[in-house]
Amino acid sequence: MNGFTFDTGFFLHEIIVGTRFVPVVLLLSLAPLLAGLGLGLLVAIARVLKLPVLSQLFAVLVVVIRGIPVVLILTISYLFTNLGFGPLAATLGLNAGSSGISYTVVAVFGLSLSATAYLSEALRSALESVQAGQFEAARSVGLSPAQMFRRVIIPQALPVAIPLIGNNLISLIKGSSVASVITVVEIMGGTLLEATRSYQFLEAYLAAAVVYWALGFATERLTALAESHVAKY
Amino acid sequence: MEMFNTKLFFSCFPRLLARLPITLVIVAVAFACGFLLALLIAAARLYRVPVLSWVAVAYTSFVRGIPILVLLFIVYVGLPLPLLLARAGLDINHWDTLVFVLIAYTMSEAAFQSEIIRSAIIAVDPRQVEAARSVGLTSWQAFRRIVAPQAVQIALPSLGNVLVSLLKDTSLAYSLGVIDVIGIITSIRIRTNRSLEAYTAAAILFLTLSFLMELLFQHLNRRMGAGKGAQGRQCWTGLMLRGRRAI
Repeated sequence: MNGFTFDTGFFLHEIIVGTRFVPVVLLLSLAPLLAGLGLGLLVAIARVLKLPVLSQLFAVLVVVIRGIPVVLILTISYLFTNLGFGPLAATLGLNAGSSGISYTVVAVFGLSLSATAYLSEALRSALESVQAGQFEAARSVGLSPAQMFRRVIIPQALPVAIPLIGNNLISLIKGSSVASVITVVEIMGGTLLEATRSYQFLEAYLAAAVVYWALGFATERLTALAESHVAKY
Repeated sequence: MEMFNTKLFFSCFPRLLARLPITLVIVAVAFACGFLLALLIAAARLYRVPVLSWVAVAYTSFVRGIPILVLLFIVYVGLPLPLLLARAGLDINHWDTLVFVLIAYTMSEAAFQSEIIRSAIIAVDPRQVEAARSVGLTSWQAFRRIVAPQAVQIALPSLGNVLVSLLKDTSLAYSLGVIDVIGIITSIRIRTNRSLEAYTAAAILFLTLSFLMELLFQHLNRRMGAGKGAQGRQCWTGLMLRGRRAI
């Protein structure tokens, strides 16, 4: 009856196995973070400045991407690359099949798409937290829009933006686990590989959880550090 | 091989919609049960109940810190362990997978909502309680008539975010074998040997649902006057930090 035992030694071993996959998770979360920050800032500025056409287009895109679960974004990107890569390579005259693509790249693409939508919202709320008078004052003393953002608006928006960015990074770290759906081996996949030999799945999942927890905790502390650093402006 | 079969795409909708009730049951049960648990967790922390408040801190930190996918599997393979140790006499082998899924999502909701509830209550100015007590209200009356109505206003936008996130998170329930909107796609794939159309249809379904939920909460927020006034706005930014984002 009592077939369950918890193998602490194996659990600790699995934590070490899990930490070996931390670089994969960092790639799957930091690359989308950077892409999301860059593209998200452009989207946010376009929406704050209410640029015609662009701001409406971005607003719709953000709602659409935020409304679709990441697992579907990743699966659809995966299927599109699988179906479309062969014909595309053929028309370009390349001798490559869909089996040659790294699904990590597809995962980074899908996660970046989602990160851009969420970060553009975070950055937009940070930019909007700066009083309207600051925009007017900057323009009235003759600053160009680029100067206005770089010298006046962004330094003031940063303290608001940093905790939001940190929060998004934690979500990205957790969201990277979904990449396992499109065959990317990350922390959970790595610990599972070891567990299938002995059927010690609980130890494997708990070990993966501990590694994720630690990563999230570290991100939280780093964010707090960055926050106190920018707060001096 | 053709890229996108439009006819198949449209024929997917009835089959996906037939499985929508399961997705909605997960959302409704997890949100409601999670809310009740969240009240207990928030109370344990606000009243600094010895031991319990420490358990609550560790629980919320852990559950919020791990991906829902990992939590699903931990509950699925780990739940039998404490039950066997307690010799509860439950025959867990014949439980429906849906039960494990419901427990996992409820656990997650309890953790996220407890943070929202706790910070909403903290956000109400403590002088309001003092004022209420000074005019002769009991502490329960002060909570029910003064603190709770304001806390609800503050918490409502974040609860709306959490609900939409939960809806999107249920898209991972299929990984334990629940045949919900996403789970049924496997059978469509086996029959037609294609799945891009079905996944796209599911994406549109989720998009529509989350859009409707957001509209519902916008309406509720307006009716309850949430986010009004300087204090409300400040708290709202604070709560966004404590809120969650779906994966």
